[in-house]
Amino acid sequence: MSASLLLQTLVLGVLLGGLYALLAAGLTLYFGVMRVVMIAHSAFLILAAYLAWFFHRETGLDPLLSLVVTVPLFFVVGYLLQRGLISRLRPATLTMMSVLLTFAIALTIEGLLGFFFTGTQRRINLGYSGSSVEVFGAHIAVVKLIAFALAAAALVALFALLKLTRFGQALRATIQHPEAARLLGVNTDRIAGFGFGLGLATAAIGGTALALDSTIYPSLHWHWIGPLMAIIVVGGLGSIPGAAIAALLLGVGQSLLQIPMGTTWAQTVFYIALFATLLVRPQGFFGGRLAQRF
Amino acid sequence: MPSASDTTTGAAPAGAAPGGATERRSRFDTTLLGGKIALLVVVGALVLVFPQMAADPFILSVGVVIASYAALAVSWNFVGGFTGYISLGHAAYSGLGGYATALFITRADLNPWVALIGGGLLVAVLAVPIGIASLRVRGASFVIVSIALVLILLLVAQSWASLTGGAQGLRVPRPFGEDVLRPEQHERFFYIHVAFVVVALALWWAIDRSRFGMGLKAIREDEDKAQALGVPTGGYKLTVFVISAFFTAVAGGLYALWFGYLDPIFQFSILIGSYMVLMSLLGGLRSLMGPVLGAVVVGYSLEFFKVHYGDSQFHLVALGLLLALVVLFMPDGILPAVGALVDRLRPEKRTSIREMTAEDLLEHNRRLDGGTGTPEGTATPAGSGPGATDAERDLATVPPREEQR
Repeated sequence: MSASLLLQTLVLGVLLGGLYALLAAGLTLYFGVMRVVMIAHSAFLILAAYLAWFFHRETGLDPLLSLVVTVPLFFVVGYLLQRGLISRLRPATLTMMSVLLTFAIALTIEGLLGFFFTGTQRRINLGYSGSSVEVFGAHIAVVKLIAFALAAAALVALFALLKLTRFGQALRATIQHPEAARLLGVNTDRIAGFGFGLGLATAAIGGTALALDSTIYPSLHWHWIGPLMAIIVVGGLGSIPGAAIAALLLGVGQSLLQIPMGTTWAQTVFYIALFATLLVRPQGFFGGRLAQRF
Repeated sequence: MPSASDTTTGAAPAGAAPGGATERRSRFDTTLLGGKIALLVVVGALVLVFPQMAADPFILSVGVVIASYAALAVSWNFVGGFTGYISLGHAAYSGLGGYATALFITRADLNPWVALIGGGLLVAVLAVPIGIASLRVRGASFVIVSIALVLILLLVAQSWASLTGGAQGLRVPRPFGEDVLRPEQHERFFYIHVAFVVVALALWWAIDRSRFGMGLKAIREDEDKAQALGVPTGGYKLTVFVISAFFTAVAGGLYALWFGYLDPIFQFSILIGSYMVLMSLLGGLRSLMGPVLGAVVVGYSLEFFKVHYGDSQFHLVALGLLLALVVLFMPDGILPAVGALVDRLRPEKRTSIREMTAEDLLEHNRRLDGGTGTPEGTATPAGSGPGATDAERDLATVPPREEQR
């Protein structure tokens, strides 16, 4: 393996890991506020990618502009989803039933995408799709850089929102201890809804980034949900930094393994990491006490 | 039978108590039991004559598909119904069972039926480490692992083309000779599937009444408390998980033998796993016949959609909406809902609260103590003296003696 190939692989791994990190952060948010594993997350990701593609096809404008519509839209959908559906489930069986409910939502989205846009593989062709920059002999596609920048910016914004604003404080309090937060006057129900909205907004951003450089088709979300769920388990359910670190590590790991093993087998790195984590440290490597009972 | 399993077993331990008051069965219960037996006989007879009544081989093949779904759902319900651990990835075991059966026949030249059982046993062995890893975590993580298992097996089955045939698929030789025609094949497989379902149901029923089953249901209600009470939760969960994997694998192997062709995308499909969940949930997770009823409803609708809407993605939307509706509005399933309806017709009201008042109970215990003439103040302390031993009392319901209150 030549040095430039290795470098290229590493860079691609980091770029991929950035997108994984953003999406895993969304999943972590849902889990934090409601102890819900949102299987439909990646279905919404693909939905956003389709909306970006559709937007580009209809208007001819840059698909990045679709974010102006999709991010608020997804935020509202996420809020309504939490308030209208998920919070209606019985608390005793919430964890299992919410998995089934979000699974049902994922199937519905996949079915509707196939219904309206057919199962044909779609791809956005932009003026700068083929161009790449060269860094020390490694060729990095511009679209991948844009996708990474988008993901990184969103992740930083999310982090700042959680750490610096009053809303972020309330959200973190809700995640840490809902009862205590309620005693302090936090409207935890509404905050939980907003947490869902934020999580779904990450899917909107991630989907647009994905649409830039990938071929999309309705059943693609199954290829995303597995790795994403492996990431949040390895990182420790409920921990956003844990999810980000695990996402980067596993993204780089996948890229490196692609060279000797091929694309398909390299995907197994996520599942091997998942099983190893469960055997060695079921609460995840970076997570806190939240994860232990789940 | 079906819906009664949970509503009536609550009274079962009390049957052991002396006095015989619980032995009596009201007229309503007798009628109910008779009705259930009559229903069972009628449904059983209908199932048995179905192949003769089927208008054409296509209808018959739909019958086999539904029987196959029923076999999968009942196998799934060993884990889902007893422990409440909802696995969305049981397609992993049915797929593995199918491939193992096929490979045992083609590569090792085994008799098809030996290969079927061998495949089931192999998958049961594989399920041990998987169970150990995945049952360490509860709820959400368990579901994640179950889905991951299907995705990983799909990757492997597609990539390892030299063994599984990859995307080309794998032909499975027919277990019956060439002279047995298709309709005849359908008929035989229909009966084999029905027999399999009956065996699985019998085992489910036996577990339901056993100490093992009690432990599993305790895990379902509250795992920490069950563990604190001395239920060996880890061992119980693993055992029932392996049983479920074995049955699912045999059901998958049966399907492979019948269908004669395996494709990774359809074998290791999350959809198949979710069908099993939906069927059991719709019929009623906690009841014996729930998964069978669910399989008939869902299986029939699936075939209906396939015939009328063909290959469109509409069946995904229908499945998704149906699952969401069941989860939101009927998480207990059809059979428990029917059971509750029947209970409303009951002339004497039955509640979960015991019938005896505390005073009656005290009187009852005093009689047991034989202390008919003993003044209250001088009653002997618990565990000693004449009269009934604690074992003779209904300890579960009793404040044993007055002075302990």
